[in-house]
Amino acid sequence: MGSQVMHLSSPRRRNPVSRWLAADTLQGIQRQRALLGYLFLAPTIIGLLLFIVGPMLGSLALSFYKWNVFRPPEFIGFANFERLFADPRVFTGFKNTFILVVMTVTILEVVAFLLALLVNRLASRTLSTFFRTAYFLPVLLSGASVAVTLGYMFHKDFGVINYYLGFLGIEKIPWLNSSDWVLIAVSLTTVWRNLGFTFIIYLGGISSLPTEVLEAAEVDGAQGWRKITKIVLPLLSPTILFATVTDIIKMLQFFDEPFIMTRGGPGDASRTAVMLLYESGFGNLEFGYGSAIALVLFIVILAVTAFQFVMSRRWVFYR
Amino acid sequence: MSGKMSRRELLKLTAFSAAAVSANLVPSISIFARPASQDATVVLRFQENETEYAKVVEAFKEKFPNVNIEYVNVTGLDHAEVATKILAQLAAGQPVDIGYAATEATQLYAGEGLALPLTQRVLDSKEELAEYFSDVSPVLTETMMYEGDLYQLPRDFNAANMYFNTALLQEAGLEVPGEEWTRDDFLEYAKAMTGIGGGDSFGYGWTNRLWGSWTPWFFVNDTNLLMEERAPGGEWMWETFYADDPNAEGRGGGWRWPAPQANNPKMVEALEFVVSLTRDGITPEAALGTGETLQGFFTSGKLGMTPAGGFWSGGLINAGMKPGDFDVQFWPKWASQRHQLGVGAAWILNGTAYENEAWEFVKFSTAREIMELVGFFGELTRTTPVRRSMNNEQRYSKSGPPNWHVFYDTLDKRSDTGPIPAPVFSVELTNIYTRYTALATSLEQTPQQALDGMQAELEALYARQ
Repeated sequence: MGSQVMHLSSPRRRNPVSRWLAADTLQGIQRQRALLGYLFLAPTIIGLLLFIVGPMLGSLALSFYKWNVFRPPEFIGFANFERLFADPRVFTGFKNTFILVVMTVTILEVVAFLLALLVNRLASRTLSTFFRTAYFLPVLLSGASVAVTLGYMFHKDFGVINYYLGFLGIEKIPWLNSSDWVLIAVSLTTVWRNLGFTFIIYLGGISSLPTEVLEAAEVDGAQGWRKITKIVLPLLSPTILFATVTDIIKMLQFFDEPFIMTRGGPGDASRTAVMLLYESGFGNLEFGYGSAIALVLFIVILAVTAFQFVMSRRWVFYR
Repeated sequence: MSGKMSRRELLKLTAFSAAAVSANLVPSISIFARPASQDATVVLRFQENETEYAKVVEAFKEKFPNVNIEYVNVTGLDHAEVATKILAQLAAGQPVDIGYAATEATQLYAGEGLALPLTQRVLDSKEELAEYFSDVSPVLTETMMYEGDLYQLPRDFNAANMYFNTALLQEAGLEVPGEEWTRDDFLEYAKAMTGIGGGDSFGYGWTNRLWGSWTPWFFVNDTNLLMEERAPGGEWMWETFYADDPNAEGRGGGWRWPAPQANNPKMVEALEFVVSLTRDGITPEAALGTGETLQGFFTSGKLGMTPAGGFWSGGLINAGMKPGDFDVQFWPKWASQRHQLGVGAAWILNGTAYENEAWEFVKFSTAREIMELVGFFGELTRTTPVRRSMNNEQRYSKSGPPNWHVFYDTLDKRSDTGPIPAPVFSVELTNIYTRYTALATSLEQTPQQALDGMQAELEALYARQ
């Protein structure tokens, strides 16, 4: 009994970490709160580590190796990058990607904005709902099925597009079989599929514009095009920034449409950077080279996005 | 000791941990084999479609009740793309125990050590397999060999023969030509069938890929994209199973393609001929893919002739044609009448824990009565069975074509028929081939320019191997 009393009254022996965490001081309480915070964050952090940071670092490491899955990776230093910068197909792939991005994002933003303006002006709730649904439906379709269907429609000899253009006296256009036309066909397909998403963003932005500002502008005589350029667009600039940033990031990763519609052809005329890295990695079993292309693409996306945010300071106005 | 861990420190720690994890993961992925199960029941991962193989598996399980089959259905635009996906699964640590490969991937799996050589097992079962090999052309068996060893027991094949739309033939006042028809005859036929059928038909169409693309044209022009030679070895096969077969004479241990020759004069001549068909409006633009686009045009009476194998007989009926709406003939003669073909079969993963069970399944599937249970060989033939005895009148009675015997005659009567060029790096080769072909057929480059470019890239590809 005596020994038990002695034991209970003696100070509890804790390891240094437990003492550090449980210290009955202000710092100790702060540490406990921080630990709780990290515990709540843990699922997200673990998810990020496993599914984003880990694969990214794995890909970064792989870019310095030669690895074909079957044999152990062989460290080759910067050889993949040297080959990459000397490979004209990589240059073509990135050039095509940039052309597609500029073409697609420009059409997407302009058309989605104009459609959003028109739909926002519709007095009939039924009509408004109909158009919102109609424009958004293609977003729900799989990229592959859209590409297959539109691939048939763009066929030079049997496609419906050339069939109807024929009524206008326009000769058959080799949409998918000509370096001059193929990027336009791929871009139009991508616009058709993605328009709904950008449209909904703009519609949300326009419908939440402050009516008092718009009414005040009208009282001051701002109408039509002047009202759009001087009032609506500046007020909508944060929405435009969001839409363009997300669209550009998405389009820099162009894959589904050109892969299914043209396989990058004719030649390399519609081959994109992501197609090249996919073909290098999974087609040619050059995972190191594919990773090197992926790393360069990642840096390009990062740089383009950073540039957009820096430039946005000049034209984006937050209320 | 500082009491706080800053965000910066936390990020550093997480990044370091992720890097360590990644660095340790990569090398270990090279081990594909699954550990052997301690259970009595074995599950084989089998790359096939359940609807096609349900009856075979059912019959197998009656004989081997402890073996279950898990289907791994992989689809793709062509066999090269299917191989790409299988490799991606391997890289992800999800191998199949029994895969399926056509010629496009046979040497890829064999050459990279993924497929198990079956030579010894075949010799150990020679009594059981003698009847099978006696029913299978040596052309097909040789195509499944690599460097003297056999890697697959052939299941199906397709040689590129010429299909005719009989309605367009009749409208042009023509009949299906004889076996000895020539390239000039073909041209007359193609011109005659262009611009009829409502005014917008084409005489001939093809798909841009390795098999059945413009490949048949350079085969009959007596050349090839790559130089060809026979690997040494293989006597064990020919002496054991084909001793009395004259078609087996001179065969070796499989095909080798030691160097590219894309821009040799005969290749250029063949591509110039094909491009001239496009330029003259006889051929529509050549699409990439599986040939479904062409099938649509053929069944709707917009296409007179196209390259296809036995797989099309069932496919055309499924697409709405009726027996008699189409027929088939050998590829026309040019400098030769050598045909190109592809063969498909199961392969066993080298290192699978269930090698014996996988071999039993593969061997079991070669029996005539079991092959008849495969869905592809059902009422409508959707790929040509490798067994000579299965290519009979009854098989094609519900679909046609009337000249169905051409499919197997391509092997027996044209014994110089050979595989499409498909070395270990066939996926990359196909990519190069289709890219430059498209540049020529879209008239953006001359055939000579396109084939010079193709040759340069193929040489670089060979140098990297």
